[in-house]
Amino acid sequence: MAANPIACASCGSGLCGGKGRETFYQGTWANNPISIQVLGICSALAVTTTLANSLIMGLALIFVTGMSNLIISLLRATIPRKVRMIAEVAVIATFVILFDQLLKAFYFSMSERLGPYVGLIITNCIVMGRAEAFALTNPPLLSVVDGLANGIGYAFVLAIIGTFRELVGDGKILGFTVLSEGWYVKNQLMILAPGAFIALGFLIAAFNYINARGQKAEAKS
Amino acid sequence: MSIRGFFEKHSHHFHGQGRLAPLKPLYEAVENFMLSPLSRTKSAPHVRDPLDVKRYMSMVIIGLLPAALAGWYFFGLRVLAMIAVSYAIGGAIEVAFAVVRKEEINEGFLVTGLLFPMILPPTLPLWMVALGVAFGVLVGKELFGGTGRNLFNPALIGRCFLAIAYPTAMASYLDPVKAWPGRLFQWAGSALSDATTNPTPLSQAKRVIAGGGELTPISDLLWGSVSGSVGETSAILLIVGGVFLLLTRVGNYRTTVSMLGAFAILESILHLADPGRFVGPLWHLLAGGMLLGAFFMATDPVTGPVTGGGKWVYGALIGVSAALIRNLTGYVEGVMFAILLGNIFAPVIDEVFIRRRLAALARQDVIAPERGQPPGQQGNVWFEGKANEEAAQQ
Repeated sequence: MAANPIACASCGSGLCGGKGRETFYQGTWANNPISIQVLGICSALAVTTTLANSLIMGLALIFVTGMSNLIISLLRATIPRKVRMIAEVAVIATFVILFDQLLKAFYFSMSERLGPYVGLIITNCIVMGRAEAFALTNPPLLSVVDGLANGIGYAFVLAIIGTFRELVGDGKILGFTVLSEGWYVKNQLMILAPGAFIALGFLIAAFNYINARGQKAEAKS
Repeated sequence: MSIRGFFEKHSHHFHGQGRLAPLKPLYEAVENFMLSPLSRTKSAPHVRDPLDVKRYMSMVIIGLLPAALAGWYFFGLRVLAMIAVSYAIGGAIEVAFAVVRKEEINEGFLVTGLLFPMILPPTLPLWMVALGVAFGVLVGKELFGGTGRNLFNPALIGRCFLAIAYPTAMASYLDPVKAWPGRLFQWAGSALSDATTNPTPLSQAKRVIAGGGELTPISDLLWGSVSGSVGETSAILLIVGGVFLLLTRVGNYRTTVSMLGAFAILESILHLADPGRFVGPLWHLLAGGMLLGAFFMATDPVTGPVTGGGKWVYGALIGVSAALIRNLTGYVEGVMFAILLGNIFAPVIDEVFIRRRLAALARQDVIAPERGQPPGQQGNVWFEGKANEEAAQQ
């Protein structure tokens, strides 16, 4: 009796051939699209002025990478090699437009705030990169795991930067005042793009430090 | 007389049966501050003048002291607190990095610690001073590898950070008391508690051009009884300290001369073109942070070019940028941005001059012809040269 396919990401068997857990770990942490591969930086810097913006943007990317990886993986035997990029972009653009329209319909103020950056996910290196590097050569379910994992990896880095920038730059988290204006002086650098660069730099440094410590501990044991 | 000679001449007073023997520890402390503390040979071979980082930095501090004392006189005891905070926080970060990296504590911070409060408004809250110096030392210096490896002047990075993060506080200046004893024994309030925003000479000039008020007289600019950053107001004391630096050759005259010269030339052209819109060159030279920047910051040997020709270009680039930013943009003062811009270009300027020199040497058959070619065609000669030297040593 085959294992339950839904549990494959954790059980290490089933349709994804035992690679689910490793793929998830690679996408979210070990090969994190932002902190390790340093992809998709443009949107990460542009939309992280508040936590809410970061969360919606992260959600958009999880949706797009997951769905586009699924479709491209299903079509991987059909897509001619020479036109594969155009085919990939067509699939990705479909899901991006879908998300953009949903956002406009149900959360218009957020759509206004994110401006062109939702549409620009079409050209986001992470989505394209996962399609090229993973979905074209792997089975559908594993590709979905990979797409979701990379989306989650992107989203959680964005959430950290967004929290930090909103808190330090505006004294708020998700729009609620945490640091009162009575005593807290807003650091306006954090609202501007250079502040995002600096925050991201420190975050990557922290991740590298954690990884280096992990490797040291592994080498010892 | 060299500095070492001065100490040699007077050292007998402090040793053995000398008149001032009880003061020997003080003498040694001062000597240590000025010179390398290493004991040295009494017979040949001699190193004639072991100029090290510490003495280099000590000279800059001595050059800065007159202007710093003027800052205390004009803006009160708060200035001393700002200097203390700057040294304490910046020093702590320096020590922490030295411990983690298992390196010696470097004297490089001595200058940044004093220079940083000099370029801040005297009413700035002390915690902002702490935050600014922490950012300047951490991001401006330690992340690049510490003293001698930083791309930008750490004090200016700290100021730039504060200027963007807290623009209101960084624009509140104090009006100096003109009658003796100034604010020597007074504590001025911080920018946040009582908003004391006086126009600096430069912001006043913008108002005058827009059609109101009077320009700050040049005599006030010379003495320093104008509002502005702590150490930038007194032109005379800055010139005294700056000339001292140039005479001891701690500051290179090329950078200073070309920076002030290019600035003055461009200001003159602007002034001649439209006296109603642009104030004269002498006034602009003395106002704001121009002198402080030209004598104490652009001359920083780490962040500026090392080639002689490069220093002329570098100074001129800063001078021209400062004049353009001051006169043709919304910013009131441009020296900080101009020097940071110069810092960015310093390595490129050096590269150009080194390549030209190598090409010239190759033409004169001093070095092998292929070393005079641009690196793209034969690899980087400097790294290769380094590698060859290391290989030869092994």
